[in-house]
Amino acid sequence: MDMIFFKIALVLALFSAICYLISILIKRVLAAKLGTWILLLVLFFLTISFGFRCVTTGASNLLTQHGVLAFFAWAISAGYLTLQLKTNTRVLGVLVAPVVSVVLMGAAIGVGAAVPMPGPLQGSLVPLHVILTLTGEALLVIASIAGVMYLIQNEAIKKKRITSLTRLLPSLSDLDRINHISLLAGFPLLTLGILFGLVWASSVLSGNWQLDPKFIWAAVVWLLYGALIYQRLFLGWKGHRPAFFSLAAFCLLLVSYIAVEYLMPSIHRFI
Amino acid sequence: MQILLVGLNHKTAPLELRERLCLSWGRDTDPLVAIMNLPPVKEAIYLSTCNRIEVMAVLHSGQEEVAGLKELLLAHGNLCPSEMERCIYVHRDLAAVGHLFRVASSLDSMIMGETQILGQVKEAYRRASQSNATGLVLNKLLHHAFRVAKRVRTETGIAQNAVSVSYAAVTLAKKIFGYLKDKRILLVGAGEMSELAARQLVKYGADKIIIANRTFGRALELAEEFHGEAIDWKMLPQALAEVDIVITSTGAADYILSADTVAQAVRERRNRLLLLIDIAVPRDIDPAAGEMENVFLYNIDNLQDIVDDNVKRREKEAQKAELIIKEELDRYLCWRDSLEVVPTINLLRAKFEGTMNGELQRYSHWLKSIGEENQKQAEILLLSVINKLLHDPVTTLKEESGNNGAAPYILALRRLFRLEGR
Repeated sequence: MDMIFFKIALVLALFSAICYLISILIKRVLAAKLGTWILLLVLFFLTISFGFRCVTTGASNLLTQHGVLAFFAWAISAGYLTLQLKTNTRVLGVLVAPVVSVVLMGAAIGVGAAVPMPGPLQGSLVPLHVILTLTGEALLVIASIAGVMYLIQNEAIKKKRITSLTRLLPSLSDLDRINHISLLAGFPLLTLGILFGLVWASSVLSGNWQLDPKFIWAAVVWLLYGALIYQRLFLGWKGHRPAFFSLAAFCLLLVSYIAVEYLMPSIHRFI
Repeated sequence: MQILLVGLNHKTAPLELRERLCLSWGRDTDPLVAIMNLPPVKEAIYLSTCNRIEVMAVLHSGQEEVAGLKELLLAHGNLCPSEMERCIYVHRDLAAVGHLFRVASSLDSMIMGETQILGQVKEAYRRASQSNATGLVLNKLLHHAFRVAKRVRTETGIAQNAVSVSYAAVTLAKKIFGYLKDKRILLVGAGEMSELAARQLVKYGADKIIIANRTFGRALELAEEFHGEAIDWKMLPQALAEVDIVITSTGAADYILSADTVAQAVRERRNRLLLLIDIAVPRDIDPAAGEMENVFLYNIDNLQDIVDDNVKRREKEAQKAELIIKEELDRYLCWRDSLEVVPTINLLRAKFEGTMNGELQRYSHWLKSIGEENQKQAEILLLSVINKLLHDPVTTLKEESGNNGAAPYILALRRLFRLEGR
């Protein structure tokens, strides 16, 4: 049952991405509006699919590649749609919807049979760790997406190339605000999530788990975003620089994630 | 039914003539009354704006020309006949209707896509209908024109994108700040264009205007006019840190805002976005200021480029609008046909005969039982009843059509009997 809803969500996510793309091509907001509503449906079906899966498999769902990525896509859509209520950034979905689609495709690849929760992972710490870090990272992804669009729009206005694309894209202030809000909300969630992970690791694991590549990677990411938050809040960075920084941080995150996940041995894996 | 449109616009008549005609009528008599007094005119509407003077008239049937209409229109122009011919255009029937649609949709305007003209047409229509100069045809036609204008505005981008420098500044500000509410403007120096831009920004919600001028007295004057705040010329760098949009237009020969001053301000404003609009020639702001992060510097040429670009865009949209007008003209043709007597009579007869045949069909069983001969008799009987019933209305219609009064009867017939042509 859960898989049917998941497949519907995946197809709808692709549709939503296409709608947004069309709106960029024909320079009409109407198509983007349709895309937004479809994205809302994606969220709806993902929620149902997730609910079914949780009932049947329990918390171990959050440790499989499918479960993790599906939840990640859910968090990105939910985060974006919530932020969109606050700002006039409908067209931002042209980057969000494809990201959601790609993540969902990744989830589709990782579909497997239900697995029982391994002994050491039982308890509420691990699911909490997963949910918090994923939500935090989802918001940071949205921050970077807003950053990308900020850079595009900034370039156009700076170079005085006011095209119909410029007219369609959201205003710089709105994009900066999205970047700001999602950083500010995402970072504490990520921090909390990592803390839960640390508490669990120190109580259950033995040996040099601090040197595990995935742990080091997490520390680097945390520091990077911490630096960005510091610059935003205390050095008064706004606009162009944080947009660029959050994009760079995200790229680094993505590259190192892939490297760690697929090239290095780690104890921190999907089950 | 003959529709005639006589007029002149900004393309055919020079400004001096237009203003002479525009002014003279107001003082004199009502032009509409004078037009309605011309014998062939049945319905008329008189539109006069600074860019055009037009008369649309529906003539009594059988009439093709209106003697004296052109002369009436140009009565105050003091023109010789050859000049008059040059200024005035005459459109008939479909061309006249098409012209009306294009005018109402602002395709014929000096600034294509401006929305004022529709209001002016509506006003002209209101005046005409108040003085009972409009009837069946013009009422229908004008409402059709308003619908066309609305379609053109919503279905094409003809009214989108700024085509004035001051409005281009507003759209630019919106693309940077999102909305202008609670944004503050610094107006440096005074000039027509900069004041216009400031006024537009205020109109779109900007919060407060701060005015700096070398002569403080002038600054105070402007501050009063804009309900703003005048500041001392020396306070300029400090003010720069507080505002979001700066418009400069001084006559200074040198830069009044150096890149250093702007850089200092950017630091003080903690990187909040800053839009600098330099309308002055020679320029007031060091172009290097525009290179800085979070600072956007536009000069008069940049804004003009946006405007030129948008004008081209509107011209492209106008082609789409022409297609809409073509479509609507077809619709108008349909309606016009429905006003004709003969097609209506034919439809009415067809309806009666259709009903008869239907009933004959229904009773075919019984008809067969009475034999072929009787059956024919019955059909002849029914047909003659129909002919008798139709005789009076048809004759009356034809008579009224001779007296130009058939239209209301036609409409009533079509409505009562639900006749659908075409």
